[in-house]
Amino acid sequence: MRLAIAALLLFPALVFGQAKENQEDKISNDNPGRPLQMPPASTEAKEAMDDFDRFQRRGAWERALKSLYTIEEGQTLRFVDGENGFIIPVARKRRSILSALPPNGRAACRLFYDAEARRLLAEAEGPSELKNLETIYSAYFITSVGDNAADRLGDLYFELGRFDRAADCWLAVVRESPDTDLSLAQLSVKAALALFRAGRLSEFQQIRTELTDRYGDEKITLGGQTATPAEQLRRLLGTEPTVADAGRPTSASTEGGLNLTESVDILWQTRFADSIEAGMTPPELVQWESNPLSTAVPAVATHGTTLFANYLGHNFALDLKSGKMLWRSASFHHLEMQAMQDQVRFMDATRFAIVASDTHVWSLARDLKDANYFAPFRLTCRRADSGEVVWQSSDLIDYAPYDLVGPPILAEGKLFITAKTQANPQQQQGQPQQFVLAIQPHDGKLLWKTEVGTFRQGGMMYFYYYNRDPVPQPRLIHRAGALYVDTQVGVMARLDADTGSLDWGYGYRTDNVQGQNRFFFGYDQPPEPTTSGSAPVSSGEAFLVKGMQSDRLYAVEPNRMKVLWERPISKSSRLVGVNEHTLFLGGPELSALDLKSRDLLWATRLPSGSLAGQLLVRPDGLWQLTPRGVFEIDPGSGTVRRIFRGKDLGAVGGNLFLTDQLVLAISNRTISAYPRRATGADVSVREDSSTRDKRTSNEE
Amino acid sequence: MKNKSSIAVIVLVLTGVGTTGSAQVLSENIEGFSVVGKGLVTAKPNLVEIDLEVSAASELTADAIVKYRDAKRRIHDAFTSLKLENIAIEERGLGVEQKGMQNNYYFGGMPPSSRAKTEVQLSRKLVLKCSNIRKMDEDKLLQQIGKFLDVAQDAGAKVGKQNENSRYYYYDYPQNLGLTRFVLDDFDSLQEAAYEKAINDARTRAQRLARLSGVTLGPIVAVREIVVPGDRSPNTNYYPWNQDDENLPKRLETAKFQEIPVRVELMVRFEIQSGPKGKERAEKR
Repeated sequence: MRLAIAALLLFPALVFGQAKENQEDKISNDNPGRPLQMPPASTEAKEAMDDFDRFQRRGAWERALKSLYTIEEGQTLRFVDGENGFIIPVARKRRSILSALPPNGRAACRLFYDAEARRLLAEAEGPSELKNLETIYSAYFITSVGDNAADRLGDLYFELGRFDRAADCWLAVVRESPDTDLSLAQLSVKAALALFRAGRLSEFQQIRTELTDRYGDEKITLGGQTATPAEQLRRLLGTEPTVADAGRPTSASTEGGLNLTESVDILWQTRFADSIEAGMTPPELVQWESNPLSTAVPAVATHGTTLFANYLGHNFALDLKSGKMLWRSASFHHLEMQAMQDQVRFMDATRFAIVASDTHVWSLARDLKDANYFAPFRLTCRRADSGEVVWQSSDLIDYAPYDLVGPPILAEGKLFITAKTQANPQQQQGQPQQFVLAIQPHDGKLLWKTEVGTFRQGGMMYFYYYNRDPVPQPRLIHRAGALYVDTQVGVMARLDADTGSLDWGYGYRTDNVQGQNRFFFGYDQPPEPTTSGSAPVSSGEAFLVKGMQSDRLYAVEPNRMKVLWERPISKSSRLVGVNEHTLFLGGPELSALDLKSRDLLWATRLPSGSLAGQLLVRPDGLWQLTPRGVFEIDPGSGTVRRIFRGKDLGAVGGNLFLTDQLVLAISNRTISAYPRRATGADVSVREDSSTRDKRTSNEE
Repeated sequence: MKNKSSIAVIVLVLTGVGTTGSAQVLSENIEGFSVVGKGLVTAKPNLVEIDLEVSAASELTADAIVKYRDAKRRIHDAFTSLKLENIAIEERGLGVEQKGMQNNYYFGGMPPSSRAKTEVQLSRKLVLKCSNIRKMDEDKLLQQIGKFLDVAQDAGAKVGKQNENSRYYYYDYPQNLGLTRFVLDDFDSLQEAAYEKAINDARTRAQRLARLSGVTLGPIVAVREIVVPGDRSPNTNYYPWNQDDENLPKRLETAKFQEIPVRVELMVRFEIQSGPKGKERAEKR
């Protein structure tokens, strides 16, 4: 009897406990436990969709559709929960709802909204053409003119070079408008071409097969020539690179062999740490060495025969052939005095970044002399040949609200960077927001800015005992006209690189970056390895995503908006590279994960671990710069094949960088250049400039 | 009046009995000479040990096992490839713990509150032992130790004693923070010699006392060991980490490569010989 009473009393508690846990695990934009919220749709917009649901169940189509169309235009670009963890704009959600309508619902929609759609299509001329077509595609796609609008919109996007969107428009007609009067064969050819140019190869192959199987007997006319769809496609692709070329990764992973034998002599070395330490008394030296900034590794970028470095805001350029310094922005000697100031001791030195083109170099840094603990990071553009400052974001009013966080990239002639607004709680400015900025590289003009989300977590204000967690640095990737940003705080988003419009976000599981423990003297906690965040890596058409504080690894197919698989993984892991079958992970150990079985194949612990630093990941081996030299690891077994001690001993490790002729070891003390010896016949490896540009920007 | 007399009786009884009792005990205790004899013999260490640790943690226990297994295998392989006959790796107990849930001693031993999921951590202490070092010259030994440390670090092992905050909490500050430990564990014959020296030393001291006291030294009637070489008595109730070292053979350790003292201290009690002088003194007393 007592047992029964106890069970009855405990039952609600158990139920509520489970509900709470499930709620915490649920990936929802509205979950208050998640660190970042994408711009949310208003309550009215969400209620409108709920109303639609309710009315459509009753078959009240007029009222159901009316509730959908009462959503304000401004709300259509705000975000609601989609399927499988994706967070999508209201417009996309509305289109998917309309596309899934049963025949009587579609008929009702045409009855009530055909006139409006036709009016928009008739007025789609000149400046309003794109806007009107987008409105029809988004809101009135299932009307009688929706297919025509989508076709025209696809043409427009294709002309603008937005192949991804063009393909989506044509595919929408092919897949969702079976009763269209348009030629499905012709639309399929156009979609295949756009898919090919967007790099969506698996979908391209699928469409190409369909062209032969389904429309093999049809003849279509394109560009004044009449032929079967398959022949048309073949003709149009004749001038394009092959499929194999299109899918080829552009990273250093496909370049020739690398042989770092123990007998390699150093070509040149720049000892910048010696410049800082020159003239220090022993106590000063001890103090400097105990300063966390003494372990900072400079960020570097190469272009042509020049290496550009950003060492705690001190920029310099080296001639790659001789190692001779071409210019520098300031003397290193006084760095120690600046670094001893309290406000910079706990600064995250990995936030310094650099990216270069043939004419300019852009560095991300903060002024070490600025006594403000929250002093923002700023961009500085210099001339590549002389180091002369061209522009600084601190001089431009557009950048005033932002702290630039995360490495910038160069793509499509634009400079992309992520930024966070600087919330000042004393002025009740609310929580900081995450932005992506597109900048005109040569003059710093802001081309567009897009809000990705608002942080639910306040600023990092609790700096006890210099034990500061690293600030999450969002990572950017440019692929086929789209810009992907992994915020590292639970959302990976896709933006249009041209306009900055936010397509969708994928919400992944993550912990907050700053835990509650940090408020209370966290120094006595067992030392948890802190791994630097990593950018998503491409595996086929999917991205492998692992946030800095996430204990999950995700394979996300961005074009189909699907999660292919997910797997639990150590929070301290990071992504360091991938080949066809294997993903390589850093962290306390360097490890390899089989992409097919998702089993951990091997793990190798290297001196000081693989928590940070850039590795060389190639088909013939992995190379990591450790405090005990460069370790060469067999990618198949994880065995340490060779240890090349080199001339970097005494450093904390760092990054390895590959150029045409050199292997560059960048540590916290030196930049060392070793000759790159190719094995076998593949001796003269040359990169074309586009590949090199991409690599420079991507690796940075 | 009656009360006063009662008190006096009690005082007399107590003082009387007390005096008699203590005199009896005293006479027994001071019978003979108790002296401390010390014996010291030194020898070079015959073994050098290096503490290594392998540990691995992961959300999935299967991953932790792969990491742990690989880490341990690589250390074994690295030392096996040295092809040295005088080295061996001894494995201590395997720990299966929840990562990050160590006690937080500044919060009264409470584990850190966390919503984090369980991350399984496997860890094991390995002890690299290099024997027969006594006859090696210092340079060769140094070369060999250097090689061991390099190989261990290159193989990804954590070298040296690992930081254990709990020891500080119990005011047990480790004495040896060096990377290596020199050990003498073959000191049976040396120990015999040290005992012999300690007894001889005690006898010499007692004889001096007897001569100065004007009595004749009798035979040994009791011996108590004060310092015994290599004797350790870990109190596992208070120092749980010592459980690892349970049942270890007797040994002497030092952080430096030097002669290690084998020290014996004995408390020895000699009887006073019953002779004419002794009887006279007893009667007078």
